[in-house]
Amino acid sequence: MTDTGSELPSVDGTVFGRAFAPAASWQPFAGSLTSGGAEDEVGKVAGTEACTPLKFHVALSSDAYLQLDDVVSTRRMIPGRGMIVTSGVVTDVVARHEGAAFGSDVFLIADGILPANVQEIAEVTTTRVDPECYVPPRPGEVAIRAAGIVRDAALYFDRMDARVPAGIGRDGEPIYLNLEFLDGTRGAHVSISGISGVATKTSFALFLMHSLFTSGALGARAVNAKALIFSVKGEDLLFIDKSNARLDDTLRAAYAQLGLPARPFVSAGFYAPPLPGDTTGRPHVTGRTSGVTAFWWTLAELCERELLPYVFADTEDEKNQYTIVVHQVTSRLRREAQAAGNDGAVVIDGTILRTWAEMVDFICAQVTDDVTRPGWAGPAIGLGTVNAFVRRLRSSQRSLTPLLRGDLSASTDRSGAHSIDTSQQQVTVVDLHNLPERAQRFVVGVVLAAETDRKEQAGPGGLLFTMVDELNKYAPREGSSPIKDVLLDIAERGRSLGIILIGAQQTASEVERRIVSNSSIKIVGRLDAAEAGRPEYGFLPPSQRQRATLARPGTMFVSQPEIPVPLAVEFPFPAWATRLSEVADPTFATPTAGQVTGSTTRPDPFSTLPQPENHPWPQDTDDGAIDEPPY
Amino acid sequence: MRFHVDGWDPTYGSSVANAENGIGDSTAKVTPHLELAPADWKPISPSQVSAPGAVLFVDGVRRVEARIWIEQPPSAEPAIRPSNTARHALMALCASYAAGTVCCCPDRGAHLLTVDYRRGLFTTATNAADAPTTAGTYKAHITPDDQDQNLAVLLSTALQRQLTDLEVLVATHARTALTGHGVREDSDLLVVDGPLRGRTHLPRALGFIKSHRTAYLPPDLHAMIAALASSERTPVFLMGTSWDRHAWYLRLPCTPGAPWAGIVRLECAADIPVSEAIELANLSQALLPRYASIEYKDTRAPQNLVPVAGLERELRRRMGNPVLLSRALRVAAAG
Repeated sequence: MTDTGSELPSVDGTVFGRAFAPAASWQPFAGSLTSGGAEDEVGKVAGTEACTPLKFHVALSSDAYLQLDDVVSTRRMIPGRGMIVTSGVVTDVVARHEGAAFGSDVFLIADGILPANVQEIAEVTTTRVDPECYVPPRPGEVAIRAAGIVRDAALYFDRMDARVPAGIGRDGEPIYLNLEFLDGTRGAHVSISGISGVATKTSFALFLMHSLFTSGALGARAVNAKALIFSVKGEDLLFIDKSNARLDDTLRAAYAQLGLPARPFVSAGFYAPPLPGDTTGRPHVTGRTSGVTAFWWTLAELCERELLPYVFADTEDEKNQYTIVVHQVTSRLRREAQAAGNDGAVVIDGTILRTWAEMVDFICAQVTDDVTRPGWAGPAIGLGTVNAFVRRLRSSQRSLTPLLRGDLSASTDRSGAHSIDTSQQQVTVVDLHNLPERAQRFVVGVVLAAETDRKEQAGPGGLLFTMVDELNKYAPREGSSPIKDVLLDIAERGRSLGIILIGAQQTASEVERRIVSNSSIKIVGRLDAAEAGRPEYGFLPPSQRQRATLARPGTMFVSQPEIPVPLAVEFPFPAWATRLSEVADPTFATPTAGQVTGSTTRPDPFSTLPQPENHPWPQDTDDGAIDEPPY
Repeated sequence: MRFHVDGWDPTYGSSVANAENGIGDSTAKVTPHLELAPADWKPISPSQVSAPGAVLFVDGVRRVEARIWIEQPPSAEPAIRPSNTARHALMALCASYAAGTVCCCPDRGAHLLTVDYRRGLFTTATNAADAPTTAGTYKAHITPDDQDQNLAVLLSTALQRQLTDLEVLVATHARTALTGHGVREDSDLLVVDGPLRGRTHLPRALGFIKSHRTAYLPPDLHAMIAALASSERTPVFLMGTSWDRHAWYLRLPCTPGAPWAGIVRLECAADIPVSEAIELANLSQALLPRYASIEYKDTRAPQNLVPVAGLERELRRRMGNPVLLSRALRVAAAG
């Protein structure tokens, strides 16, 4: 019926109300939106739904469409105040038959018997009112699809001094994050939630780091900006310095649109735990054969740096008495241990300890012996408490033996090459996937504590972006542990220290509340329906909560403090390889002498399987699962 | 006792007016032997016809927005109606009326083709002038006073006359709006809701009469109408009252019930050859049952055709919100 609207003859020169005015005769207010660019009118503000300054509805012209997340702008002239531009993001679109009263009328309409009109109405949630005069848009005002400067203004991109591309919006235009909420100026930390397998949390975190380092948003600080990544999902992150074989012109164009180079991380270092049972300190990796450094802590370091509490990283530990014993033993070790040789072995009371097992035996003997117990476990410590300590210490033996060594010679390498160092390269990947959970916690806790100490001493000059996957494991909502203390410290103090936490977890509801609430940037991938209903996702409007349950891999909802509505973004497929088979340059696989025997180009057993077309994430394996160690 | 419930909402009356007395007799001149000899009259079943390119339905609606009183100058002659003299004011009607066309074509389905609406002030007061309001101007239509007729009926008739004029205008222009529609020339059919009077000059036009006041046929032929089965029609006959036209009765598909349930009368021009009239009758028989409405959806089912119901709903909507119109009139009266 809209098509006949303009043919409606005006009987006596006047028309009844605005609604009867032919579309063509309605003149928008003089002047245009602040940009003045070509306007793409999509419809008019609807009067059948209540308009408020924060939410309004747009009835769409028959030849126009709006999809969720499109940016819409409308304006209103206020006498004495000037033009008020109200912009927002489409959060819902409803289409219905006008003129149909019964459900079965649709068949009559489809049959061409009953005249009816399909009308779409989009719900727009306001993101910005400029200048700030909170008046509702008036029904009948023209609504335009915001583009260019208008869109930037609607999404506050114009007020961002430095902006970091976060992906492509649903409207095909880039979406940015404000760097000030990432680098600690006004906020810090990123929380990424989503179910395993399809949420692509790790991929997005890596993309975000790529964007941070290469977009130029950091300026000169990019030199001193580092990233530390704890990888728990296989060796996928051991190839991020190699080009992806699937990098084609389409993908390059996607990166170019965001202003990012389509290249892998140029400066990356890789650390993996040593091969169990191997005395030469080779890294425990299978896919990547060069450029991976093994990491471990010598027993001398354990004693000197008081790392023992991180061995006891179970969450309920704090409630128990035995922590007194832990701290007693820790300080005793620091005082008594003497380095022996250059392998990291220690001598305590004349006993030389070369392995973690030996040390566990030694400590157990000291605390259980009636004579030495008061000196090691502390005075007036009950046997039950000591036994609790011993039980936990012994249970750590198997997990931590590969990591705590006094039998590996560091003499062939430069000194300290076995410890994780973030200063030598931009991105440091610590591969944890071969470690049991207890050892993973130990590594994360010790490394983060060390980095925090280092940052405290160095001052907030550089930035360290720390990505911790499965954050709920290290900082669970209930209980406390040394690792959780470190993470809480980073969440609350890291902003001033220059340590930015990028936490990924399946369920934000299971992560310590203070960590999530300290995150300025909240990102959500695909969510479980029950999880999406939890209060931790209160920043998502109802329609987005529903959408989050069916978000495709590669789609994330990004919430940042300045923009009241989370924005849906799609980020391009990684330009770096995420598995061995994706490495574009096969020459890299040439083994260094003596490191790997056998075929260097292992045939991928699945390479002959047909690949589904048009699926952007055909090989996504972000299941977040931790592989069982082979020992 | 067996009984049937009339399909029409009681407020509309029955589809058979004067139902208490049955259908009144007629003085109309009827020529029944055009298609079949009266002795051979029998219900005619639907036949195969080719569908028209487009079917156009024309209808109009009216609504009295307010009853107003026009003050008379004191020097006016003593009014004849004693009820009005006391206050020197004459009653008038402010009404909106609209007419439009729905086009049912294969390409675009059912859609509104043209809509025209007017506002009028109907009165016998000679000093009446156009009444401008914020919701449009009510154009004055002054009717000569007729002392023999009730004033309300007189004004209502004047309004109906204007509406009919508008319907004629819309029906006449409906086909011009159809150009550029992808419909083959001369393949459309125009169905006018109500008698075809004044529009018999339009080619391929049918009048569609929903309610029946008079039995035009002789009693033996008239009795056959009640015996029609669904989608059956009577043979075409020629009838002349104040004007001549071809006519036939048709039963639309409906729940079997009262003898005249679902009966409509169709009319077409008298000056076309009989063969052409029979062709139109066959066409209407094949076509119109498709558009018949269903009891639970329409209070005048099945006679109130679905496109016409949709058109009326849209026309009423286009006439504006009655509350707003009434307020605009009050404001205008106060100003």
